[in-house]
Amino acid sequence: MRQIFLLLLILTGCLSSARDQLSVTDDLDRTIYVPPRIERVAPLAPNITELLFAAGAGSKVAGVSTVDDFPAAVDSLPRYGLIPTDFEAIVALDVDLILASEQVNSPQDADIFAAVGIPVYFVAVNTLGDVTRVIRDLGDLLGTSEFAHERATQLEDSLSLLRTLTSDLTTKPDVLFLINPVTLYGFGQGSYIHDMVDLAGGHSITQHLSIRFPLLTDEFVLAAGPEVIAGAFGLQFENPHLLLHHPTWDILPAVQQDRIYGLNPDLYLRPGPRLVKGTWELARVLQPDAGIQP
Amino acid sequence: MNRWTILLLTLAIFSVVISVSMGREVSFGEALSVLWHHLTFGSSSSPDPIADRIIWQLRMPRALLALVVGGGLGMMGVAMQTLVRNPLAEPYILGISSGATAGASLFYLGFLPPLISKAVSMPIAAFAGGLCAILIVYSVAGRRGTISVTRLLLAGVAVASLMGALSSFITLSSPEPDKLRSVLFWLLGSLHLATWSSLIWPAIAVLIGIAGLLMLARPLDGMLTGDESAHSLGVPVESVKRILIVLASLVTGSIVAASGAIGFVGLIVPHAVRSFTGVTHRRVLPASFLAGAVFLLWADLAARALLPGSQLPVGIVTALCGVPFFLILLHRNHQGFS
Repeated sequence: MRQIFLLLLILTGCLSSARDQLSVTDDLDRTIYVPPRIERVAPLAPNITELLFAAGAGSKVAGVSTVDDFPAAVDSLPRYGLIPTDFEAIVALDVDLILASEQVNSPQDADIFAAVGIPVYFVAVNTLGDVTRVIRDLGDLLGTSEFAHERATQLEDSLSLLRTLTSDLTTKPDVLFLINPVTLYGFGQGSYIHDMVDLAGGHSITQHLSIRFPLLTDEFVLAAGPEVIAGAFGLQFENPHLLLHHPTWDILPAVQQDRIYGLNPDLYLRPGPRLVKGTWELARVLQPDAGIQP
Repeated sequence: MNRWTILLLTLAIFSVVISVSMGREVSFGEALSVLWHHLTFGSSSSPDPIADRIIWQLRMPRALLALVVGGGLGMMGVAMQTLVRNPLAEPYILGISSGATAGASLFYLGFLPPLISKAVSMPIAAFAGGLCAILIVYSVAGRRGTISVTRLLLAGVAVASLMGALSSFITLSSPEPDKLRSVLFWLLGSLHLATWSSLIWPAIAVLIGIAGLLMLARPLDGMLTGDESAHSLGVPVESVKRILIVLASLVTGSIVAASGAIGFVGLIVPHAVRSFTGVTHRRVLPASFLAGAVFLLWADLAARALLPGSQLPVGIVTALCGVPFFLILLHRNHQGFS
């Protein structure tokens, strides 16, 4: 039954692709064909959902993944699983376009959606600047340009304001930004996290490591001697927990000065509009004396 | 001690020193001076505190864990190959490692409550998983006081698959998806969690294993000739089999708890060693312990050095380096494996 269902979908997909459509290029330089008016979309990662809402296209979101929880409007939407991608549930939503994240989703998934006639647009947020670029792109793609450009400018203004507050600071602490306090995954070269640390008045010690998500060694951290350890550990994180797993870190400046901060993971691990809020939060802990108020 | 054992012992000590001293963060000379400071019980001048922590608190326990794990796996490989009289056997063959992995994943991903503390509960969960697997295998293979090797192997393969599936199920249905990467790293085998205190339990287990196997060296030689002729030589075959299974679950379970399932060491090392020392257990066992230790020390050095600032699971390196070596050995000494 399932096979027949998929076969029918493939056939209808082939027929519909003949209609006149617009060609667009996504962030992976793939050329895809989309209908002139896109009414229903399905995001394949929580940061894409947030970017869509920021671009003013929230009303076009037809469903979200099971891990989505922001903004509150997603609570009433249909859900689908992402590991592995629940093709049937997404196809059943009858969307015009699927939006995928280059970091999370596999290009093979796009081939399967292409076979049933649903185009997939990949979004890549590698730098902080990409956030507002993607918001504008999505607005242009989905016919909400005015809203999207306005929102993007607001976010950029917010970051510019922060830059004026931190650019003249003379002391910028060496910062270690971690994903997990036990197994030391960090961010390597070319990550947006280094833009955030820099704007927040710090210096990220992992920005030159060539691996995208390096598993840091305790000795790397000891030798680098960070003055602040910030991580997406959650706000309930208790500092002694870090020392329990990494007992040799007792001589790090960050530990001795008690500058270890557990931050809300959603503001750092979802490359979307809330990175701006995350940058402000980070600035508050990196430069406590600069009077920065989000 | 014969010359091979002495040579391997020297090589093992040399490898520990190299493994502790090589790395980007501390210079070779500074590393040696830290070592000297500790080995002379603090008689030389105090080293730089950062270098001291890197060398003595991080690299030294890690090197010693490599020694214990590599040695334990090499030695248990010999015991398992003798137990089932099959050159394909290795310490993981009876499903112990899969059971330990399943136990640890259950705990790590939040399905089991931390009983004492996280650091203690995970090895206990792994050990319990390994023990659970071996008990199932054992109860299936044993009948009327004798253990059938064929049934032991078949049950081992089946239970390993079952436990593997259980681990995958646990991993994919985890309530804490951000821990997946950590679990994956551990599943592939890694020594990065080594500390002085986490070293104690595997070290004790491996010491018990060495002592037990060396005491059994003679009966083990007898068992190479087959159950019946061993029996006629006066070897209490069934008791020896039981002791071997208990030792294997003790040693392998505690090794997997400390470092995940590091593959190929237990399979490759005994074969490589036998081609130098012959098959007598009194020689093969210590030489396999030392050769396994040396192999894992160098593999871990590579795992630490290949990616700057980052590290690889050592299990990947043991497979990448060990398997081609094993294939060359197979090609050269085909008579030894027939």
